[in-house]
Amino acid sequence: MKYVCSVCGYVYDEEKENKLFSDLPDTWACPWCKAPKALFGPKEDGPGEAVAVERPEAVQSGSGEEDALGTGAAGDRMASAGELSVMCSNLARGCEKQYRPEEEALFRQLAEYFAARIPDEEDAGMEQLASMTAQDLAEGYPALSAEASAKADRGTLRICTWGEKVTRIQDVLINRYIKEGSAFLKDTDVWVCSVCGFIYTGDTPPELCPVCKVPDWKFEKMEGRVSG
Amino acid sequence: MKEFAVRNLRLCTKDCLCLYVCPVGATDTENSIIDVEKCTGCGVCARACPSGAITMMPVELPPQQKKDDAVVRLAETLLRGKVRQEKAALQIMEETGDDGLYRLCKALARSSRLVAEDISREAGYMLPQSGNTHRKLEKWRQDPPGDGFPAEAVERLLEMIPYPY
Repeated sequence: MKYVCSVCGYVYDEEKENKLFSDLPDTWACPWCKAPKALFGPKEDGPGEAVAVERPEAVQSGSGEEDALGTGAAGDRMASAGELSVMCSNLARGCEKQYRPEEEALFRQLAEYFAARIPDEEDAGMEQLASMTAQDLAEGYPALSAEASAKADRGTLRICTWGEKVTRIQDVLINRYIKEGSAFLKDTDVWVCSVCGFIYTGDTPPELCPVCKVPDWKFEKMEGRVSG
Repeated sequence: MKEFAVRNLRLCTKDCLCLYVCPVGATDTENSIIDVEKCTGCGVCARACPSGAITMMPVELPPQQKKDDAVVRLAETLLRGKVRQEKAALQIMEETGDDGLYRLCKALARSSRLVAEDISREAGYMLPQSGNTHRKLEKWRQDPPGDGFPAEAVERLLEMIPYPY
């Protein structure tokens, strides 16, 4: 019997390991991404690796032209300061990739303007974060994923696949902190993949990001507070 | 289609053949980024580069894929949650004296922002050159969203980012 990690796809093969998966201790974690044992599921034999999304019918509605005037889909609704900040910081990244440093700086300026206007969270705390990640996993991602599947939107399916895995590892870390406090972070570094947001705890980041497969130099180390 | 050359600094092995072949000296810069103002888009450097570090980018990009309204709505709901998670993590960071929790929340804030940016991209704002972006900037120019809004930044972006449609 084989078990597969729902975050990174690592396969635990009972035959090769010569040990039943159920005999592994509860503290056992995925050797690739450190996801806990509970995030593993039985591997069903089938072609290719176990990907959670089903393949949609290749039917694209409409002309595919976003820039034709009058589509009005995204631009018109009232967006919050947070959404606008994210939109601008993302466009700044788009400019960075196109080697447009001045435009990048201008979009960053806009992103910061909006970021400063995001209202405070009233009950900011790890329990609140845990309930929000749980809700995204239970409702937000399944709903978006289903709609994207129905509309054959591969781009949105891709962000669901990555985002859901990243949210799952966030959820694991938040709940681990709630249970154990910060002892598990004491002598280890915390890394974030600068492409997909995957969080890794360990001395050195993995050779390839378990979620989006970029090389280790794309990981950023989270430094502690600068004293003084 | 008019193009310009872009160098991937991670792949560049400084063989410098691009310097020998560029007819206008656009590849010879102190910061290793090819000078877009000078580049004529002839593509000779990309063909000469032994490391495949230079690619040709079109000046005008195609329109973004049209997004389904129901997909966009669900994506925006998710995005709003991610922004709140980022904010909460930043607040916890500010208040805590615990180094482990501080670094964990820094990671959570960064991670939530990256996930949110990915959603924003798929919700219709992939390209700075897109119609959605252009219309948003135009709207802000005509009707600034609040006090202290950096209107001159918007003005400059509208000047600098080509929008051919």
